[in-house]
Amino acid sequence: MKLIIYIETTKEFDLFLNEFDNQFECEVVLGCIELSRYTKTSFEDLLILINIANKKKIPVVLDWDILNLESRFKKSIAVLEKIPLHDFKAIRLQDPGAIEYIKRTYPWLKVQLILENGNHNLVGLKSWRNYLGEQCDKLILSNELSKDHLRQYASSLDVPIEIQVLGRILLFYTPRLLLSPLDKKNSEAAFLEAYGSSEESPHNGFPLIENQHGTFMFNVKDLYLLDHLNELSEANITNVRLDLRFDSLFENHVKDLIRFFKKDISEKELKIKNDHIRPMIKGFYNVNKTDILFTKLKNKRIQRNDEYYLGEVVDVERNNQIALLVKRDGEIKENIKKLKLVTPEGKIKEIELKWIRNSQHEEVNSFTKNEIILIPFFRGVTVKTQVYLSSTT
Amino acid sequence: MNHWTPELLSPAGSLEKLKIAVLYGANAVYLGGQKFGLRQASDNFTLEELVEGVAFAHDRGAKVYVVINSFLHDKDLEELPEFLKFLEALMVDALIVSDLGVIATIKNHCDLVIHLSTQASCLNIEAAMLWKSMGVQRIVLGREVTIAEAGKIKKASGLEIEMFVHGSMCMSYSGNCVISNYTQGRDSNRGGCAHSCRFEYSIDFKNTEKESLKSYFMSSKDLEGIRLLPEFIDAGIDSLKVEGRNKSHHYAGTISKVYSDALNFYKSHGHFLSSDMLMWEDELRKISHRDYTTGSLVEYADENSIYNQREHDDNEYTIAGIVLESRKNQYLLVDVKSAFLLNDNLEIMPFNGKISTLSLKFLKTISGIDIIKSKPGSVVKIPYAEGVERFNLIRKCIKNDVAGFV
Repeated sequence: MKLIIYIETTKEFDLFLNEFDNQFECEVVLGCIELSRYTKTSFEDLLILINIANKKKIPVVLDWDILNLESRFKKSIAVLEKIPLHDFKAIRLQDPGAIEYIKRTYPWLKVQLILENGNHNLVGLKSWRNYLGEQCDKLILSNELSKDHLRQYASSLDVPIEIQVLGRILLFYTPRLLLSPLDKKNSEAAFLEAYGSSEESPHNGFPLIENQHGTFMFNVKDLYLLDHLNELSEANITNVRLDLRFDSLFENHVKDLIRFFKKDISEKELKIKNDHIRPMIKGFYNVNKTDILFTKLKNKRIQRNDEYYLGEVVDVERNNQIALLVKRDGEIKENIKKLKLVTPEGKIKEIELKWIRNSQHEEVNSFTKNEIILIPFFRGVTVKTQVYLSSTT
Repeated sequence: MNHWTPELLSPAGSLEKLKIAVLYGANAVYLGGQKFGLRQASDNFTLEELVEGVAFAHDRGAKVYVVINSFLHDKDLEELPEFLKFLEALMVDALIVSDLGVIATIKNHCDLVIHLSTQASCLNIEAAMLWKSMGVQRIVLGREVTIAEAGKIKKASGLEIEMFVHGSMCMSYSGNCVISNYTQGRDSNRGGCAHSCRFEYSIDFKNTEKESLKSYFMSSKDLEGIRLLPEFIDAGIDSLKVEGRNKSHHYAGTISKVYSDALNFYKSHGHFLSSDMLMWEDELRKISHRDYTTGSLVEYADENSIYNQREHDDNEYTIAGIVLESRKNQYLLVDVKSAFLLNDNLEIMPFNGKISTLSLKFLKTISGIDIIKSKPGSVVKIPYAEGVERFNLIRKCIKNDVAGFV
C-alpha cells in the first residue's frame, strides 16, 4: 500500500521526515499557488521543498490540478517552465488541456490522471489510460465510486489506481470569487476561509475557500476510509491519499498516521476520527444509490409508448364529451370503435365509442394528425389521459 | 445580401416545445431521450416522440441534437448501443456527450457526429485539441470562456464552437459540482441536480468576530447575450445555444423568436443597428428569468454576476395558451395553460412579424357554451384572427390580471 500525502511547508516536511523511513512506500505531492487549487505554497517555497525531497530521496509528484481558462493557461505554462520537472516522478493533472500539453511537450514526464469528476465507467477509464499510453503513471478515481466498482476497475486496468481515504470532500469548484464580495474589508486577501449553512438544507457548516483560482465548497463531513485499507489492498487499490491540508490535520495527526501506515499502531489507536472538528463518513464507499430517485421524477403513465397510440385527452366536459388531440391519421371503419385509455393515475379503461366529432361538432369518419376530436364522456377520464386504439379496432 | 450568422440552438424539453422552438425560428434544437441526459425532471422524449420530433424539425430545415451528457455508468453503456442505432436510423444530426466512455461507445457503434457537452468543461485550446483527437467535431465551451477566447480556440483547433448565449447558469464549472450527491442523495451529473446553489446561506468567516452574513452567494444571474451578437459573429462562433429544457413553452417560443429575429435582421443588413433591439431586449424580460448578466462573455464574471436573492417568479407575462386549431373565419381552439378572462388583454405571438394584441369578443368551451373565464387544462374557443396558426403562443400580462381581480 502506497501512501500519498500533500506537503505544503518545510515545517510539515520536518514532521513527516521525523517519522519517515523506508519501511513503507510513499509519494509526496507538492504544488504551488499558481498551479494547485488550494495550496498556500509559494513558487519559491516549492523549490525549497523539492530540494528537501531530493536530498532525502523522497519521490515527489507535481500537482497541476486547476482548470485553466485560456488566459490562465499561458500563465500556468510560464510557471511550469520554471519548475525543475526532472526532479518529479510524475505530474498530476485534471484539465484535458493540461493533459494534452504535457503529453505533447514533455513526453518523458509521467502523468497521474485525476479522473475524480465523473469517469464512472470502465470504457472511459481505459480510453483515458490508452490515450496516455506509456506516459500514464496512474489513475486517480472518484470517491463517488463504490468498493465494488473500484475492485472491478482495479482488476481490469493495467495501471495503479489511487483514491482518497482521508480528508475534505470537494463539492463545488467555480472560478468566480464568491466570498470576497461579502467581506469587503478583506477582499484583497489571497485566501479567504468561511463556513456556509443553509436553512434549506439539513447540513450545516460547509467549509468554503476563496483564492485566486476561484471558490471551493467542501462537504460538511470529511472522508474516512482508513478502516478499509486491507479491503482496498485486497482489491488491488494500491495507492491511498491523505489530504491533511486543512483544519491543522497535518500538524496534529501526521505522526500517528505514518505510524499507522508503518503498522506500528492499529487503526483503532488513531485519534483523528474522534478529535476532528467535523464528523467523518465513508461517503459512497459501500454503495452509491444517487440515481435511484430518478424513476420517481416522472409519471411514466403519461408518456406515450406503443404503436397503437392515438393521442392525449386535452379537455373533459363532465357528462358531455372528451376532447382528444390526435397524433395519427385515422379512419373509422366500424360503428363501434374501441379505445384503451390510461389515466395519469394508472387506471386503464376500455371504452366503446358511438360517435366521433370534430371541433365543430360534426360527426366524422376520419381524422388527421394534430386535429382535435370529440368523443363521448367517460367517468374517471381526466386531462393528460393517454388514448390508444384497442389492438382489435 | 445574405450575411453569415451562427446557428440558433434552442432547448426542446418536450415534443410540443420542439415544435414551438422550430416554428419560432430555431435552426436547431437539442433534446433528451428518457435516459442518458441531464434533465431527468424534464418530460424528455419517448422513442415515438423522437421519431415525430426529428421528422418535424427536418421537414422544416432544423437540426436535432440528442443529449447523452450524463456521466454514464457501466450499466448505462451496455444499454447505449441499441439507442445509438435507433438514433442513427432516425438520422439525428449529432449527439452531445461529456464522457470519454460514451465517445468510445459511439465510435464503436455508429457514425453519428459528436459534440462535446459543456459538462466536460472545455476551457482552452489544448483541451479542444485533445477532444478533437478523440473524434469530437464540435465543442460546447464552458460558460466561463469569453467570446474572444472562444474565437482563439476555434481558430487554433479548427473545430466547430458552440457557446451559450442565454439562460440559467451553473455557478460551478459544469461537471464539477456534486453538492446534490452528498446532501440530497441525487447525482447532479446524472440529472438529479437539486439546485442547492440557489439556497440562501449564512456565511461565517473564519477568524473573525463578525456576525453571520446571509447571502445567496452561489446563485448566478441568468445569461443574456443579445447585445453581444456582433461579437459572436465576429469571432465566428458556429452555434449559439439557449439553456432551458425544463423551461416553459413561453420561454421556448420567445427566445427562439427574439434571437432568430435578431439574427435574421443581421442576415439581411449585416449589422444590428435596429430600432427593434430595445424591443427584443424587452421581450426577453417578459419570460421567466433571474436578473440578466453577460456572465463571462466579455470579461470573466465578477460579483455583478451573482444574483444574491431568493428565487421568485414576478414576471409581467405568462403563457395563456397554445393555439391547437384555426378554423378560418370561425374560431381558434386554444389549449389553456393558465386561466384568462374574457376581457383580458391577450397578445398573440406570430411565428414571423410583430406581436399583436388580441381582444376577445367571445370565450366559449369547446362545446360552445359561453364562459367568462377559462381554466388551465381545458380547450376553449376564441374568435378567429387572421394569420394565427397552430402552435402560436397566446400570452397575457399578469399585471392586468391582478388589476382585474382587485
